[in-house]
Amino acid sequence: MSPTTSDAAAGPASATATAPGAGEGRLAARALTLAYEDRTVVRELDLTVPDGQVTVIVGPNACGKSTTLRALGRLLKPRGGAVLLDGTELARIPTKQIARSIGLLPQTPVAPEAITVSDLVARGRQPHQSWWQQWSDEDERAVTDAMARTDVTALAGRAVDELSGGQRQRVWIAMALAQDTDLLLLDEPTTYLDIAHQVEVLDLVRQLASPAADGTRGRTVVTVLHDLNQAARYADRLVAMKEGRIVAEGRPGDIVTAELVREVFGLDAVIVPDPVTGSPLVVPGAPWSPAPSASSSTSVPASASASASGSDSASAPTTGKVL
Amino acid sequence: MTADAPATAPEKTEKPVKPVRVRPSGYAVLKAGPRGRFLLHRRSCVVAAALVLLLAAVCVAYLCVGESFVAPGEVVKVILGQPSSAELVVGTLRLPRMVVGLLVGVAFGIAGALIQTVARNPLASPDIIGVSQGASALTVGALTFGVTSYTFLPYFSVVGGIAAATLVYVFAWRGGLHATRFVLIGIGFAIALRSVTTLFLTKGDYLVAQQAQIWMTGSLNGRGWPEAAPIGWTLLLLLPAVVWAARAQRTVSMDDDTATALGVRLGRVRLGLVALGVVLASVATGTAGPVDFVALLAPQIARRTTRTAQIPLLSSALLGAVIVVGGDLLARRLFSPTELPVGVLTAAVGAPYLIWLIIRGHRGRSGGTA
Repeated sequence: MSPTTSDAAAGPASATATAPGAGEGRLAARALTLAYEDRTVVRELDLTVPDGQVTVIVGPNACGKSTTLRALGRLLKPRGGAVLLDGTELARIPTKQIARSIGLLPQTPVAPEAITVSDLVARGRQPHQSWWQQWSDEDERAVTDAMARTDVTALAGRAVDELSGGQRQRVWIAMALAQDTDLLLLDEPTTYLDIAHQVEVLDLVRQLASPAADGTRGRTVVTVLHDLNQAARYADRLVAMKEGRIVAEGRPGDIVTAELVREVFGLDAVIVPDPVTGSPLVVPGAPWSPAPSASSSTSVPASASASASGSDSASAPTTGKVL
Repeated sequence: MTADAPATAPEKTEKPVKPVRVRPSGYAVLKAGPRGRFLLHRRSCVVAAALVLLLAAVCVAYLCVGESFVAPGEVVKVILGQPSSAELVVGTLRLPRMVVGLLVGVAFGIAGALIQTVARNPLASPDIIGVSQGASALTVGALTFGVTSYTFLPYFSVVGGIAAATLVYVFAWRGGLHATRFVLIGIGFAIALRSVTTLFLTKGDYLVAQQAQIWMTGSLNGRGWPEAAPIGWTLLLLLPAVVWAARAQRTVSMDDDTATALGVRLGRVRLGLVALGVVLASVATGTAGPVDFVALLAPQIARRTTRTAQIPLLSSALLGAVIVVGGDLLARRLFSPTELPVGVLTAAVGAPYLIWLIIRGHRGRSGGTA
């Protein structure tokens, strides 16, 4: 396990050397160890988030990807190591100052009851405001712009409670955009959305990261996604995590292989080029079907054990149930 | 190898900035000086203005109505300090008691709003997180052990209320303040403290028990300038903190992660809000006893009237005053010449409201998922 990690850690460093401008990152994790109570979730993680790109973290459930994102956004204090913003430890920067550089949208944000869309989006301006300056022209510009980009301007006066899931998610993203930060962390922004809305949100993410017409760099986005294929489609840089460590890191086309999918997810799959984008498309093995002669009870453990060479913890409960 | 990554990005969409500027709906921007910009919720301003008028009307009625009716003209004379025949009835008997009621109402209204905000629970109030029970336990204990001076009793209530709330806060703290745990531990403490109070009541003699019972209902009987001064000063001194709280409340109404991501120092802000609420509630309880439900009612009615996303402090304060002063007016006159403690009246109104709130809440939730 440890050689893999050190390989991955060397990856971004070499990328920095070979690709000027693309590998530099304002946000980085150094030997980051994260824990809830006494359960260590992430161990000694090193990660540099490349500026102006979309970094997508993928991995099986409970691999520590959301936890890592929370730590990057200072929602979780590191047990060891540090998260650096422009070379300074997050813990040493006042939280309001961080909020002017890093925006973060949690997995399930909760809006105050009966709040209107424009009011909620306006609250994204919080870090730029003070008691005597509750609303500036800059606030107004940022809110107007954020609502236009997410296409929620028409909903301005509506109550957030009344909106559909897709609309609500766009409103939340608008709030994070109104914060007007260089870095944007999105924790599973497509959960609870149907496929059309998922694509809409991810397209917006790409749009945010793309450079503006005047050549200024786009925003840096780090997002956690469940869907490996979407991750491969939308990521500039893919980070695959397993059991609190980075297993592989790089461009999707370079790192998504059948071996990686088997190692990270314990899934046998075929990788084919996406017919539209050419990015790697993960196609899992054929669905289970009753074997013609043998009883089904023997075939299930057989296939489970075949794919579970690396992750016996995942297959153990299944076997237990079958037996 | 990653240098060409930005090139793979799809079309560069530059949406034109619309000429229509978006402001938070329902808010007006008030300019003060070259840099000061304040967001004012229009409806809240209208509601607050209406409440000021209502409060003024209730206060005039309070001073006019009683054993003997005094004409409003005479009342105004007394207030302005002009010589009047109603000097004794209005100036000495009714006015001081009304002022105490007004201040108690304001304090309970603000306290309830702050505690409900931090607990994220419309049912939270000083009597649910142990403030009233802590105050009661210590006050009744003092009564039982022979402290009968009304000069000292309020201090026992204030100390009891603050101590109980501090314990609840400390026990509810586990690497952060969890709203539900805060309320549940508060309820647990309230029950425990109530039994302590009962213990004191059974220990004490009959007269003391009766005196304690009246205190615990919450009453403005016999309150005057000596009681008005401490709570008046407290409110005045805490005014800057209340002004801060009105803005800070906005930031803690989101979930913890979102608020933190927006740069809010949640722990400190919450502690500040709760501390302010607890001090106000304790002082109010020390002044008039636990006037139940005022702190629960005022913020919820205020919020439903102003239709704001967070509980409006000014309207809560004004409504608290209207409820206590109006309630005391009714309590004085309803079964005249017997004067009821004001707490009986606020509880009689508050209990059905509480039930209505719960029923309505459940309906709203089931309607939302359907």
